[in-house]
Amino acid sequence: MNPSKGLYFTWLGLIGLAIIGGLFAALRLFTEGHYLFDTNDVILWSLPLGVYIYLALTSSGLTLLASLPLVFGVKKFEPIAKRLVFLAIATLLGGFVSIGLELGDIFHMIYILISPNFSSPIWWMGFIYSVELVVLIVKFWRLHAGDWHSPLSRALGHISFIAALVAPLMIGSVFGLTESRVTYFGPVMSIYCLLMAILSGTALCLFYNLAIAKIGGYALSETKDSICNDIARIFTYTLGTVIVFTLVKVAIESAAVIPDFLNYRRYAQAFGGIGKINTEVLLGLLLPFVLMAIPALRASHGTRILASGLVLLGTLAMHMEILLAGQSRPIGPKAEQYPQYVSYFPSIYEWLVFLLAVAVALLLYTLGERYLRLEAAPEH
Amino acid sequence: MPRYAMVIDLQRCVGCGACSIACRSENNVPDGIYWSNKITETSGTFPNVRYHYIPTLCNHCANAPCVRGCPTQAMHKLPNGITMHNPNKCIGCKYCEFNCPYGVIYFNWRKPHPAWRDESQMIKGGTFSPAEEARKAGGKVVPYYNPERDETLPGIRPKGVVEKCTFCDHRVKKGLLPHCVQACPADARIFGDISDPNSEVSKLLGKFRPFRLREQLGTEPHVFYIRDFNPAHYQPSKGGV
Repeated sequence: MNPSKGLYFTWLGLIGLAIIGGLFAALRLFTEGHYLFDTNDVILWSLPLGVYIYLALTSSGLTLLASLPLVFGVKKFEPIAKRLVFLAIATLLGGFVSIGLELGDIFHMIYILISPNFSSPIWWMGFIYSVELVVLIVKFWRLHAGDWHSPLSRALGHISFIAALVAPLMIGSVFGLTESRVTYFGPVMSIYCLLMAILSGTALCLFYNLAIAKIGGYALSETKDSICNDIARIFTYTLGTVIVFTLVKVAIESAAVIPDFLNYRRYAQAFGGIGKINTEVLLGLLLPFVLMAIPALRASHGTRILASGLVLLGTLAMHMEILLAGQSRPIGPKAEQYPQYVSYFPSIYEWLVFLLAVAVALLLYTLGERYLRLEAAPEH
Repeated sequence: MPRYAMVIDLQRCVGCGACSIACRSENNVPDGIYWSNKITETSGTFPNVRYHYIPTLCNHCANAPCVRGCPTQAMHKLPNGITMHNPNKCIGCKYCEFNCPYGVIYFNWRKPHPAWRDESQMIKGGTFSPAEEARKAGGKVVPYYNPERDETLPGIRPKGVVEKCTFCDHRVKKGLLPHCVQACPADARIFGDISDPNSEVSKLLGKFRPFRLREQLGTEPHVFYIRDFNPAHYQPSKGGV
């Protein structure tokens, strides 16, 4: 990347502003409480949690993609492996910032270690993502030191792969094990989260690699171009799989007459839609799939950036949609205090937490790109 | 070890709300949070309508989803079956509240009792501020503060953690009844050891056909409802003809 100095410092300035705003929000949240969010005892989990899910899953997707060269020995992908590991770390840290500011009392986090509950999916989710983060950091350190194939380096790759595979399943089970909310209940959420992780991870990989070349004003090398072609293919296949899964999900939800599903449907189109298909599915899944399915279009870098960018926005919207639609109705006696359906729009503090999480990830991307030789690959 | 349960006789319950008020003062419950609450329902179509009232509280489920999901064991079971919460371990993830099928867990979104923390006087130099009034009354944050609640749980829970009914474990420990049971003017709440076949709770459950809320979920709630108040009557006829 070789952007002009002015552009670079403007970019850092914008990130700095977002971080300052986020830190202000964090200070107010710690001192005043989470009433600053547009949440209540019906809508408990909102934008910061949706952002955490999104970033954590994306990080898992990036780690799974990095496993192709680091675990499964696909040598062709080695030139992007180090960058993928770094992006996974930075993205997960952004996610941790978001969930950290969503929690009511992070100073009690020590009890996750000294008083663990092994039957809690939240505990497992936190544990596995913490392991993933630590292992990824150590793995990155090994890669940075040029150690790609030592037993330690390989073992770290294997552990991070397993963690990245299991962690999305645990995020899904946080929802899938809630008997009180039929629309979440079951193993479907775990499978869905794993697919979404692969999709958003692949989308970010494609978007990032092409975008930095575009910003830097250089053409991709032949090797890099070939890698991007393969990533684009994986991206398109994953998109197709998620589309099939989403359409089946929509069909089942539309056909069910269980009251919870009827209620869920009322709020399942927060961003609008055509018929039963939500806007974010149309613009975030179907349109990118069409763009990537047409041979004349998918070869263009511009189309790939557009398609992966749409997917990155669409998957965040889809997570938010699912998160909110399942919570919009008060349970039991809470219907005495709250309306039949509770609406939600993020408060300024939730937007600031969102900006902080994204800014932390972007700052790390920027600094990593500048100082950490992310294109390094092993010498054969 | 006893296994505590509660029976609520819906025929005796008049819906006066004394249970909720007693609960608030016993447990220093903040505004907007209800350890003891109610579900009201209207059935039928006007003019053929009926009003139903079901008092609610934590069901102290045997298979409590809140306990299973809590990552730090802040929400836990006592040997006597009470589902207890330890705010000192709570990270405020709200998963228990998300997971509770009965809507009886609440989160402290702000410092509790904000109105009583207000230092502003309505007439400067002429009236007490709410905070001054609380201090003069010798309370802690609220003038009607009950220090006994402190015995097993912070008397007022801080912001950022959840809270819910504890079956007044601090009273039960001393052989007293939960305060909602004590305060019920219609004696509609019966509390006792369900593992003792001679307890009043066991006898009533054998005598009537109890129901529990959302029983199909398998959470094994330990708040049972018996009878139902309905003064309506109708003219017997053959098939309504």
